[in-house]
Amino acid sequence: MIGLPRRRLLLAAAALAAAPGLRAAPLALPALALRERRLANGLHVIAAAEPGGGTVAVQMWYRVGSKDDPPGRSGFAHLFEHMMFKSTRHLASEAFDRLTEDVGGSNNAFTADDTTAYLNEVPSNHLERLLWAEAERLSNLNVDAANFASERDVVKEEYRERVEADPYGRLFNALPELGFIEHPYRRPGIGNLAELDAATLDDVRAFHRTYYRPDNVALVVVGDFDPADLDRWVDRHLGRLPRPEGSVPRVRSAEPRRREHRRVALTAPTVPLPALALLWQGPPAAHADAPALKVAAALLADGDSSRLNEALVYRARSAQSAGFEPLLNADAGLLVGYAIASGPRPAASLEAPLLAEIRRLAEGPLPAAELEKVRLKLLTAALAERQTAAGRAMALGNALVMAGDVRAADAELARLQAVSAGDVRRVLRTHVLQAHRVSATYTQAPTS
Amino acid sequence: MKRRLLLAAPAALAVPAWAQGEALDRPPEPGPPPALAWPAIDEFTLANGLRVVVAARHKVPLVSVSLLLQAGRETDPAGQAGAAALLATLLTKGARRQGRAEGALRIARAAEALGGTLDAAAAWRHASLSMTVTAPRCAAALALLADCARAPLLQAAEFERARSQALDALRVAFANPGEVAQMAARRAFWGDVPPGWSPTPATLARVTPDTVRRLHARFVRPDRAILVLAGAVDAAEARTLAERHFAAWARPAAPPPALPRARPQPIDAAGVLVDLPGSGQSSVVIAAPFVAGASSERARADVANVVLGGGYSSRLNQEVRIQRGLSYGVAAFGEPQAEAGAWFASAQTQHASAAAVLQLMQAEVQRLARAAPGAAELDARRATLIGNLVRRLQGTGGLAQFVGAQLVQGRAPAALAQQVDELLAVTPEQVRDFAERHWAAGALRFAVAGDLAAAGAALADAAPGALRRRADALDFGAAF
Repeated sequence: MIGLPRRRLLLAAAALAAAPGLRAAPLALPALALRERRLANGLHVIAAAEPGGGTVAVQMWYRVGSKDDPPGRSGFAHLFEHMMFKSTRHLASEAFDRLTEDVGGSNNAFTADDTTAYLNEVPSNHLERLLWAEAERLSNLNVDAANFASERDVVKEEYRERVEADPYGRLFNALPELGFIEHPYRRPGIGNLAELDAATLDDVRAFHRTYYRPDNVALVVVGDFDPADLDRWVDRHLGRLPRPEGSVPRVRSAEPRRREHRRVALTAPTVPLPALALLWQGPPAAHADAPALKVAAALLADGDSSRLNEALVYRARSAQSAGFEPLLNADAGLLVGYAIASGPRPAASLEAPLLAEIRRLAEGPLPAAELEKVRLKLLTAALAERQTAAGRAMALGNALVMAGDVRAADAELARLQAVSAGDVRRVLRTHVLQAHRVSATYTQAPTS
Repeated sequence: MKRRLLLAAPAALAVPAWAQGEALDRPPEPGPPPALAWPAIDEFTLANGLRVVVAARHKVPLVSVSLLLQAGRETDPAGQAGAAALLATLLTKGARRQGRAEGALRIARAAEALGGTLDAAAAWRHASLSMTVTAPRCAAALALLADCARAPLLQAAEFERARSQALDALRVAFANPGEVAQMAARRAFWGDVPPGWSPTPATLARVTPDTVRRLHARFVRPDRAILVLAGAVDAAEARTLAERHFAAWARPAAPPPALPRARPQPIDAAGVLVDLPGSGQSSVVIAAPFVAGASSERARADVANVVLGGGYSSRLNQEVRIQRGLSYGVAAFGEPQAEAGAWFASAQTQHASAAAVLQLMQAEVQRLARAAPGAAELDARRATLIGNLVRRLQGTGGLAQFVGAQLVQGRAPAALAQQVDELLAVTPEQVRDFAERHWAAGALRFAVAGDLAAAGAALADAAPGALRRRADALDFGAAF
């Protein structure tokens, strides 16, 4: 779903919840030599120095996400993220490109439900410059009206590209609203054209003042640097920022239990093959059941040998593709099963086979070799992610945001490896078979 | 092989105008640039002609293996676009292993039990079978690749299943303006030669199981294949493994078939408008000449590409996104083929802006022939290019893919340092001259796919004489 030039929007936090690390693995993962500091102004610093390589990843993970979109301003956290690349008191618009890509580095950012992260990678001799620049846009953002208007147009084109031009964009954009009942997670992070248009420059200033403060961000630095240099530079550029008065507002919303099944029929102007999505309520990302749900999802939908692919795509040939994803956010989650039909068949006809495979996993035998396959796939994926400084920094930032603890990056895969067949059955019974769901069909609108 | 990578900020940017002021009001100066190591590449050839290339990196216990076969999309028979892609798919859908026929499900399970997935793909000049696995599974992954390439079952039932899935994938692709415009631009630029073709339901309908079997017999042979290993494996181990799993793959007695080397034969019209009623956006693609993979002009072409479309602050993205907010972004890439190459730049926009985006992109491409990049601009864009390369080589998968692509393009992967030197030697005037000679107005083609009624008369005015096609009736062959 993601793959566009930059300044991405993650429609669900779980899209970045790639498996981080593993202790009790048959192969040793390189341990992350972590250092954590908390500055007097509240800024949290997480550093892992790895001499050699010549590059360093510098990431700022802010504790503000799409769930914090102001009322009537759906999509605002993401729109604001784009503004962070515009002018500051001492930097021209797009200056982050001068500081990163112009010297062989890169920059990007994404907005998820719970966090907004700014990602840089630079030759290590540019580390101090990046720390200075991150301090600058944290403290001195100064967007003008012309830049605001033009970048809002960019975000509206991003909306059209993701939601309207992609034949399945409208379906996936509708899922949060269908799956969540009360929580602000139900508003899609990309927003909508009307609410994007309603946003003002004053909104930008207020949002920056409210959420972009040293005690609401974690700096993650991984790669080729000297820890003593880092400490000195962090103190100099970020440590000098004052801690604002008062506290950061937090979303407090308890998601009620779904009490009954619900059916929804979605249509769109261009739907090449009908599709079906099933949504159940899921636990928060740090819940004890999360590892077993991730293993269940991999058994159901990871690879050609997964249950859904073998049954629906290969044997029955009823689906062109099928998936199952736990989209687990910090406060609450969704479990989404979906299938895109093979050929023009009724979307609703996909529901029974999809449910049957989930039931078979929950109630039938689970061979040891199949579970072992998934464990090894998760380990291999974690190794692949940890090949780069940027990947290791992502694992740390994600653990911090989702579990509240960077060390969760090392703990999570160990828990995944420890998931048993019984755990898989239990969490599928609890969260899927015994729960109420939303069934959404997605078909071509009648032409007028 | 170690080199210093020259990525220090150029003098003109060291104290930029926006950063004048007191100490903390401007970014600190960068220190001396770090030394970066390029991967060491070893290469040898087995007695049956199989080239083996090894890029050792032991930091993480992972190995990416890739077997590149000559059966790329350029081998599609006329009127049967999609045949090579079907062959690539079918290589993973059943093979004879240790004397037993194993079906698609068993192959997938065997691959995924190794912790990876067996990826099959058909690019223009090669097809590939690839996996990334933990180091202890490297031998098993190679055994699987060898069996799938040498002894695929290519069964009729699997062929029918693969074709039906390809037809479904086409339905989805033909509903997406970005994909439709890219296919149409490809056909407009190359004309009715293999790189101009793309599959349609009609071309897929003409492919038979025998087509695919013939392609396999002709093009999948050890003396036209390259095995790449990247990651936690050294050259000696790689040689042992390659001998064990591939030495028995017999080289056919007949010489390998020659492939037609296509040169572009662009359509007469300046471009194509493809109607996609109900589409959510319009996609605009510009197609222009590029160079062959091993061309002496390659470095200039690569730099011209990044000046226009490399990185966020490239000229096209400046014009379309940053200055005007007309698109989420412009992407550009060069596609070097054997005898020639194509360059594509694309952007998606709301229908009402399609004409403006088309004209802006055309003008910006042509402007390069008049406006050479400044020294600072050139240094910045070139640093973007080299930096992207450095990052691409950080993971074993990217490393294997890069090394393979180099070889397919006729470039020596061990000459990476030399290639970087060539990029650094390109001058602003050489970039301008490249644009003048290759990217004049008459050499450009375009395609726009979207809801043409919604795009209105402005688009028709911006595209005089353009062909008009309906997305559901596209034919990328002679009848285009």
